[in-house]
Amino acid sequence: MQSLKNIAALTVKELRALARDRIMLVLILYVFTAAVWLVSNAASTEVHNLSVGVVDEDQSQLSARITDAIQAPMFASPVALTPEAAAQAQKAGRYVLVLSIPPGFERDLMAGGTAQLMLLVDATAVAHAGNGATFLRQAVLTEIAAWAGPQAASTSSVDVVFRNLYNPNLSPMWFTAVMQLMNNVTILMLILSGSSLIREREHGTIEHVLVMPVRPHEIALSKICANGGVILGAQILSLLLVVEGLMGVPVTGSLPLYVTGALIYVLAMGSIGLLLATLAQNMGQFGLLVIPVIIVMFLLSGAMTPMESMPDWLRLAVRLVSPAPHFVSFAQGVLYRDAGLLTVWPEMAAIAAMALVAVSLVLWRFRKVLSA
Amino acid sequence: MGPVARLTGVTHRYGAVAALQDVTLDIPAGCMAGLIGPDGVGKSTLMALVAGVRQLQAGQVMVLGGDMGRAPVRRATAPRIAYMPQGLGRNLYPTLTVRENLDFFGLLFGQDRAERDARIAMLLKATGLDPFPDRPAGKLSGGMKQKLSLCSALIHDPDLLILDEPTTGVDPLSRGQFWDLIDHVRAQRPGMSVLTATAYMEEADRFDWLAAMDAGRVIASGTPQDLRQKGGGKTLEAAFINLLPADRRGDPAPLILPPRPDSGDAVPAIEARHLTMRFGDFTAVDDVSFTIPQGEIFGFLGSNGCGKSTTMKMLTGLLTPTQGETELFGEHMTSGDMQSRLRIGYMSQGFSLYGELTVRQNLTLHARLYAIPPADRAPRIAEVLRDFDLQAEADALPESLPLGIRQRLQLAVAVLHRPRILILDEPTSGVDPVARDVFWRKLIGLSRDDGVTIFISTHFMNEAERCDRISLMHAGKVLEVGAPAEIVARHRTDTLEAAFIEVLAHEMGDAARPLGSEGIAPVPTQNPARLAALIRTRAYAWRETLELMRDPIRLFFALAGPVILFITMGFGISFDVDRLSFGVLDQDQSAESRGLAEGFTAIRQFAEGAPLAGPQELAARMRQGDLSLALEIPDGFGKALAQGEAPEISVWVDGAMPFRAETARGYALGVIQRAAKDRAVAAGASTQDAVSFELRFLFNQAFKSANAMVPSILMLILMLIPAIMAAISVVREKETGTIANFRSTPVTRPEFLIGKQLPYIAIAWGGFWVLAALGRGLFGVPFTGQIWAFGAVALIYVTASTGFGQLMSSFTATQVAAVFATAIIAIIPTVNFSGLIVPTSTLALPGKLIGEAFPGAWFQQVSVGSFVKGYGWQDLVFPALVLAGFALTYLGLAILGLRKQER
Repeated sequence: MQSLKNIAALTVKELRALARDRIMLVLILYVFTAAVWLVSNAASTEVHNLSVGVVDEDQSQLSARITDAIQAPMFASPVALTPEAAAQAQKAGRYVLVLSIPPGFERDLMAGGTAQLMLLVDATAVAHAGNGATFLRQAVLTEIAAWAGPQAASTSSVDVVFRNLYNPNLSPMWFTAVMQLMNNVTILMLILSGSSLIREREHGTIEHVLVMPVRPHEIALSKICANGGVILGAQILSLLLVVEGLMGVPVTGSLPLYVTGALIYVLAMGSIGLLLATLAQNMGQFGLLVIPVIIVMFLLSGAMTPMESMPDWLRLAVRLVSPAPHFVSFAQGVLYRDAGLLTVWPEMAAIAAMALVAVSLVLWRFRKVLSA
Repeated sequence: MGPVARLTGVTHRYGAVAALQDVTLDIPAGCMAGLIGPDGVGKSTLMALVAGVRQLQAGQVMVLGGDMGRAPVRRATAPRIAYMPQGLGRNLYPTLTVRENLDFFGLLFGQDRAERDARIAMLLKATGLDPFPDRPAGKLSGGMKQKLSLCSALIHDPDLLILDEPTTGVDPLSRGQFWDLIDHVRAQRPGMSVLTATAYMEEADRFDWLAAMDAGRVIASGTPQDLRQKGGGKTLEAAFINLLPADRRGDPAPLILPPRPDSGDAVPAIEARHLTMRFGDFTAVDDVSFTIPQGEIFGFLGSNGCGKSTTMKMLTGLLTPTQGETELFGEHMTSGDMQSRLRIGYMSQGFSLYGELTVRQNLTLHARLYAIPPADRAPRIAEVLRDFDLQAEADALPESLPLGIRQRLQLAVAVLHRPRILILDEPTSGVDPVARDVFWRKLIGLSRDDGVTIFISTHFMNEAERCDRISLMHAGKVLEVGAPAEIVARHRTDTLEAAFIEVLAHEMGDAARPLGSEGIAPVPTQNPARLAALIRTRAYAWRETLELMRDPIRLFFALAGPVILFITMGFGISFDVDRLSFGVLDQDQSAESRGLAEGFTAIRQFAEGAPLAGPQELAARMRQGDLSLALEIPDGFGKALAQGEAPEISVWVDGAMPFRAETARGYALGVIQRAAKDRAVAAGASTQDAVSFELRFLFNQAFKSANAMVPSILMLILMLIPAIMAAISVVREKETGTIANFRSTPVTRPEFLIGKQLPYIAIAWGGFWVLAALGRGLFGVPFTGQIWAFGAVALIYVTASTGFGQLMSSFTATQVAAVFATAIIAIIPTVNFSGLIVPTSTLALPGKLIGEAFPGAWFQQVSVGSFVKGYGWQDLVFPALVLAGFALTYLGLAILGLRKQER
C-alpha cells in the first residue's frame, strides 16, 4: 500500500519535473504534430517525380506521343537527350530512367512489323527503379495501343482486377504517418526515461531518495509511469487529431485495443531506456549508447523496409530483442486490418515479456550503479 | 615595484547576477597575494579576468603592464602567466599519467624533448611526485593532484602564478605542504608574483597581502594584520564577519556547545563494527569501527576521497558493506530495512534536492515518502519552514537561492520526519561563515534540545572543534578518535590542526617528508618559435589519442559502432521484395487456373502458399497479415478462356505497407501477362509482340538492393559517427574543465581544433577501409571503381564530417547536447535528401538544395559510383573539391565559433 503511495508521489514529482522542462515539452509537441506531418509528406518510397530522359532517334509523331505520355505525378517531364549524353548523365545519377526509341520505330510498326523499345534503368535507385520501370512500361504500352487503334487494343486475354485492401490508393502517407508515431514513441521513451535516471544520478538526487524508505522498483516504475503516461497520451492525441483529423488517414481498428498495445509498448521502451541508463556513467555516454540503439531499432522494425526482406537470422534476432517489430505488426494489424485481440495477442505478449525482462535487469543493475 | 595587476572599475555580470561590481584594486607584485571570502563572492571571476581566460565586460585590467582587454597584449602576456582553475585537479587529464600530463603542458609551451625531460624531472622531484610518474592523474590523492596541477602551472617559469582555491578539500598536512612548496618556489624565483584564493581563513594568515571580498566587492585589503585590525577580530574569520555590512553579520553571540546530558546506559545510536568497502581492487573503507552514543555530535574529518562519504553511505543503507555490520539503536541494519530508514535523516555532499520542484513541493514529496499521515503533513511542513526561516522562500525554486539558504533547506528536509539520527556529508562546504554559524546553531539545538544524534563530516578545523567527538580518516582508515581537547592533549600540540598533521605525518611516513629540499633550478628555455605551432597541434592530437584509447565506451563507439551499424543496416534496409506470402482461392480447379497459380510460385518473389478454402478464409488470413497477395480465380475461368472470352480474376493485395503492395502488384501483373502470352503462343500466335519492351538494369544487373544500399549506408555511417565523436571531444573539455588549458596557454584555435580532429580523421578513415572491405566481402557488392581514388575522397569526406562535429561542438555546452544536436542535424538531411532512399534527381528543388548543402549527398554519388558505376579519377575530382570546400568551411566556422576567452 505504502509502495503504491510512494510510486504515486514519485510519479507526481516526475510529472512536475517534466512540466518544468520547457524544451522537452516543445520537442514532444513538435514531434507529434509538425514532424509527423513533415515526415509523412517527405521522402518516401512512392514513385513520384521520377527523373526520366528520352533518347528519341525516331523523331516521329508516335515517338512524340510516347514522350508526352510520360507524365506527372509519377514522372518529371522527360528531357530529350543524345545517346552519349544519356549514358553520361545516367552514370552521374541525373536520370533514373532513360527511354530509348530507335530510328524507324513508327515506320516499322505501321508496316505491321515489330519494333523494340529499350528502357535503361539506373538500378542503383533500388527503391524506385523497379516500380518506376513497371509504371513507365504500362504508360508507354497503353499509349502505343491507343495509337494503334481500338482493333488492336484487346491484347490481354484476362481481365485483372486489383483490390488493394486497407489502403485502396496505396497512399504512402497512411503508412508513414502511423510508423512515424511509433518511431516518436521509441525515441522519446528511450531518451526521457533514460535521461531522467542519469540526471538524478548526476545531481545526486537518486541517492537522496534511496536513503528514504523507498525501494528501487518504486523509483523505476514511477519514471516509466510518468513519462509513459505523457507519451502515451501525446501519441493517442496525435493519432486522433493529427493523423486522422488533419491528415485524413482513416483509423479503422479498435481504439481501446490499440491503446492497450501502445501502453505495453511504452512500458517496454521506458524500461529499455532505464536499462541503457544503468549501463552508462554519464549523459555523454548515454547519448553514445542510445543513438545506435534508436537507429537500429527503427530501421529494423519493419517500419522502413519489409521484415521479409531481411535474412532469417537477422529477423529472428531482432524479433527476439527488440519490441519495435512486434509493435509495428501489432499496429498494422489493429489500425489497418482491424485485427482483433485474438490475432494480435502474441505480439502484445512478446512486448510485455520484453518489458518484464528489461525491468528485472534494471532492478538488478540498480545497486551496482549506485555504488559506482 | 608597481602592482602585478591593476583593476579599474571592473564589473562583471552573468545574466542578471553581478559577480563583480565596480572593483578597483591593485594587487602587489613579488609577493603572495590572496583573495578571501566564501563561495560566490566573485573571487574566481576576478582571477579569471586577471589570467585573461574570461572576457572583460567593463573596466580595465592591466596585468604585468599590459592591457588584458586587447587580444595582441593577451597573446604576448599569456606565456608569462600560469592559471590553475578551481576544483581538485580540474585542469588535469585523469586518464593520462603524471608524466604524460606534464609532457602535454610542456608541449603547449613549445618545449622540446630535452627541455621537457629536464623540467619534469626537476618538478617531480621538488614536489615528491617522482616515485609515481606512471600513475594516472585520476588515481592520485587530492593532495597529489594539487601538486601535479602546480607542476603543470610551473612548467614554463611563469612570472604570475594564479591559483584558484588550490587547497579546498585537501587534508591539512597536504595543505601545509602545498603552501611550503609555493614558498620554496618563490624563494627560488623571487620575481614571481602569486595570486591565490582560499576558503580556509586560517590559511590566509600566512599570505603577504589579502583582499576580503563580499558580494562582488572588495571590502578590505592589506596585510593579514591590517585586516585583523580593521575588522577587530582575534581571527581572520572573526575580522571578516565584522567587516561585513551590519545587517549581514548574523548573531553576535558566540557559538557555545552546551555539555551533553549523560545518556547513561542507553543503547548507542550508531554502532559500526569492522566496516569495509571494496570497489573492485580498490579498498575505499578499511575496517572502520566506532560507537556513537545518543545525542552526540560526532565529527568526521578527512580529505576528499578518504572514504568519509562511503562510510556515511554504508550507515544510511545506501551501500551494503563488503564486510562488517552496523547497528542502529541496537538493531541490526540491513539494506532493505525500511523501518531503520525512518530513523535517519541524510544530507549528501552537494545539493541533492529536486531543482525542478519548489521548496514546498520538495518538502511535500519528502513528507509523503516518509509516510507522514496526510493530516499532519501541512502543519509539519509549516513548522519546519518556520523553524528554518524558509517561509519567504517556500514557493521559490531551490536553484534561485543562495548556497547558504539551500543548505538550510536541505537540513530542513532531512529533519522533516523527526529522525533520531542525522547523517550530514560536508553540509557547510563553500558556505559563508555567517551562514555556517546559523547552520551550527541549528545543529546544536537539534542535538541538545531534541537529543538527535548527529554524524557530520567536514574539512573545516574550527567546525571540528565544535563537535563532541571527532575522528580523523585517511585513505580508508580511521586514524584518531576522541574529544577535540583530548586529542590536542594526547599529541601535546597547541591546536587540533597541528595534532592532526602529526597523526597524518606519522601515517604517511616517507610521503610526508618535507618538500622542496631539492632546488627548483632554472632550465634554459629553447625557443623553437616557428615550430611551436606544429608542436602544439601535435600535442593535442597525441593527447586526444591517448585519452580515446583509455576510454572504453568512446573507443567502442568509435571502432565497433560503425561496423555494428553497417552490418545491421546493410542486412536490414533492403528493398528486395522476395518470398511474398501468397495464397490462391481457386474456385475453378481447371488446368488453366492451376497453370496460372503455378506461374506465381515459379518465381522467387512469391512463396508457395496453401490453397484457400473460401472467401472467408481469404479475408481472415489477409486480416491476420498472413498473406501479402491473394489470387482469386472464379468458377468457369478455364471455360471462358477456352471460348476466347476474357474472364475476370481478382488479385487481393495487402496495402498496409504501400511499397511492398506496389511491388507485389508489379510482379503479379508480370506473371499474369506472361501466362497470357504463353497461352497465345500455344494457340499458335506469333512468338513476338509488335512492340517488345526491353528493360536494361544498368550498374546493378541483378537489381539487388544491397548493391546500392550498402555503399549509401557507408556514406551515412561515415557522416554520423565521426561527427558525433568529434563533437564530443571538444565539448568534453568544456564539461570537465580542461578547456581552461586551451584558454590559459599559447595554443591557438586552429591548433586546438586541428589537433583534436586528427585522431578522429584517422579512426574514421581506418573505419572506411573496414566498411569498404565488408561491403565487398560480406555483402558481395561488386567494386568497379578505382580503390585509391575512392579512398582519397573518403579521407576528404571524413575530414568534412569530423569538421561538422567540431562545428556543432562550438555552440553546444554539454556532451549530451552535442550528441543529440549532431545526430539530429546530420541524420535528417543525410537520410532524406542525400540519395539514401530517394534518388537526388527526383527531389524537388528545396530538398535537393538541403541535400547538397551537406557533404553526404556528394559522397553518396562517390560511394555508389565507385562501387558499381566504375567511377575513375575524372568522375571524382568535382565531388572531391566540393567535399574539401565543406571541410574547410566547417573548420573556419568552428574556429570562429570557438571562444578563446570565456564569457
